[in-house]
Amino acid sequence: MILLPRGNPVKENINPGKVNLVDALGKLRQGKFTGYLRFDFPDGTGIFIYQQGRLISALYQNEREHLIAYDGIARTFRESLAGAGNLNIYRLSTELAYSIHTLLHGEVLHKGQDLQLIDIRSLLTRMREEQRSGCLRIYSKEHIALIFYREGNPLGFFHDGSTDIETTADVSLSVAREPGAKVDVLVTSGDGEKTLADLMETGNVTGMWEACMHERRSHREAQESAASKTLEMRESERRQKSLALFQQLAQTHLGKIGVSLVDKEFERMKLNGGQLNEADLTTFYANLTKAAKLVAGPSKIDKMLDEMKKGFKTFTK
Amino acid sequence: MEMFQATLGVFWLIAGGVSFYFSLGNARVWTSIAVGFFLILIGEIIPGALPFLPGLKDPYVLAMGHIIGTISILVMSHGFQEYYVFTRTLDFEGSKLFVYLGVVGVIIASLVFLLINPSPDENVLRTIRIVENTNWVFLSLINIDLIRKIYFNIKDTPIANGFVAFMVVFACIFLWKGSQLYIDVFSLDTIQDTFPIRYEISFWCKNLGNFFASISVGATFLYLGKLLR
Repeated sequence: MILLPRGNPVKENINPGKVNLVDALGKLRQGKFTGYLRFDFPDGTGIFIYQQGRLISALYQNEREHLIAYDGIARTFRESLAGAGNLNIYRLSTELAYSIHTLLHGEVLHKGQDLQLIDIRSLLTRMREEQRSGCLRIYSKEHIALIFYREGNPLGFFHDGSTDIETTADVSLSVAREPGAKVDVLVTSGDGEKTLADLMETGNVTGMWEACMHERRSHREAQESAASKTLEMRESERRQKSLALFQQLAQTHLGKIGVSLVDKEFERMKLNGGQLNEADLTTFYANLTKAAKLVAGPSKIDKMLDEMKKGFKTFTK
Repeated sequence: MEMFQATLGVFWLIAGGVSFYFSLGNARVWTSIAVGFFLILIGEIIPGALPFLPGLKDPYVLAMGHIIGTISILVMSHGFQEYYVFTRTLDFEGSKLFVYLGVVGVIIASLVFLLINPSPDENVLRTIRIVENTNWVFLSLINIDLIRKIYFNIKDTPIANGFVAFMVVFACIFLWKGSQLYIDVFSLDTIQDTFPIRYEISFWCKNLGNFFASISVGATFLYLGKLLR
């Protein structure tokens, strides 16, 4: 899971599977949006970072994969169309947006260190002495805060609800005081803001989206076809079992001619692959009774039909 | 002899009643067979009733008795053929009402035909009787073979043994009608003094065949009724 503080929420808890994401990204572009989109999926997380309407970063990450740029975009699209995602959009300042980008593509030096066990001050001193750029991510169960560093100098803080790098430490350090708080140390090689390419301009994001839609559609059609085949196969099996049962009972009560009568009346039902139900069988039983009267008495025929009806019920459960 | 005829009439009355009752409560194919056997009763009740109702010795009545006998074997043979077709193709059709109406219609038509012609004399009656018995003899043989085939087709059904009983019935009928035919064709009754043994054997074969046929028909339908319960 990608741990990032929530910025200033623009929209939260949207199902990305129900949204035309290309259109939405286009609107964010037109509106010169700065911030990030967070896609949470059961299997991973996608992050799209915008800076002044330019999609400067895309990332998809889970336990096994770390996909960036167009791979990240495509994977995020695919997971969105699967329908189990949750999209949140947060506004950030330009500087913070870039900082988040460098953070996500940076290297993790220390991960999940318990703040009770770590000397945070000596850590900060080390960052300064080694002139590291990166951030400390302090998080508890409920909150996350980032402390940014550039070349050993603290830049500021980012916590839930803020849109810009803040210089007051209160909220961020209060996270450190929460029970179970942990810290990750991430370092980056970024040295100042660069103008990053707009992924929407340099790549065919619309084409990617359409390809994912097409793939999803084909997948759904294949699933539906498999489901209907499975249903057909199941129904065919049920018909075969019913016929076998009726033949066996007819053999027991009427002899060989009973089997022939069952075959003939079953054939007459003209199911054509359709579902066999009680209504179809009413006619079957009536015709079978009429023919069976020539070779057996009513009590035997009634007994046979009772057993047939009971047996058929077990196949419809 | 009159008592014997009367006794035969009683047995045929019982057999005819049982077979007619059977025709009402069962499938359409059985209707033809049962009605056919019932009609034997009509043909047999006349000579049986003669000692008590002398007025029945009318040539038209006697001729109709033989004609109904002919219709009887044709109807039951038709029934057995339909049953055989069913055992081979599993197809059957028609309604009971048409069987009853058809039989009644044929009888009425035969009566009308008889009535519009001169009153039958002894020769005409003999010819009608010979036609009746010829039909019985050959159709009995055919029916025995047909019933054998039916039996093999429905060997493991509840009703199979009923058809074995029918074979016994037709064997008795063959004996009965065959003997009568023999007597009629060679006019043995007029030359019985010349061929007494032949006549006696034929006479007793006829009567015993008739007797056992009456019992076996009633018993067969009672047995079928039990099998088809």
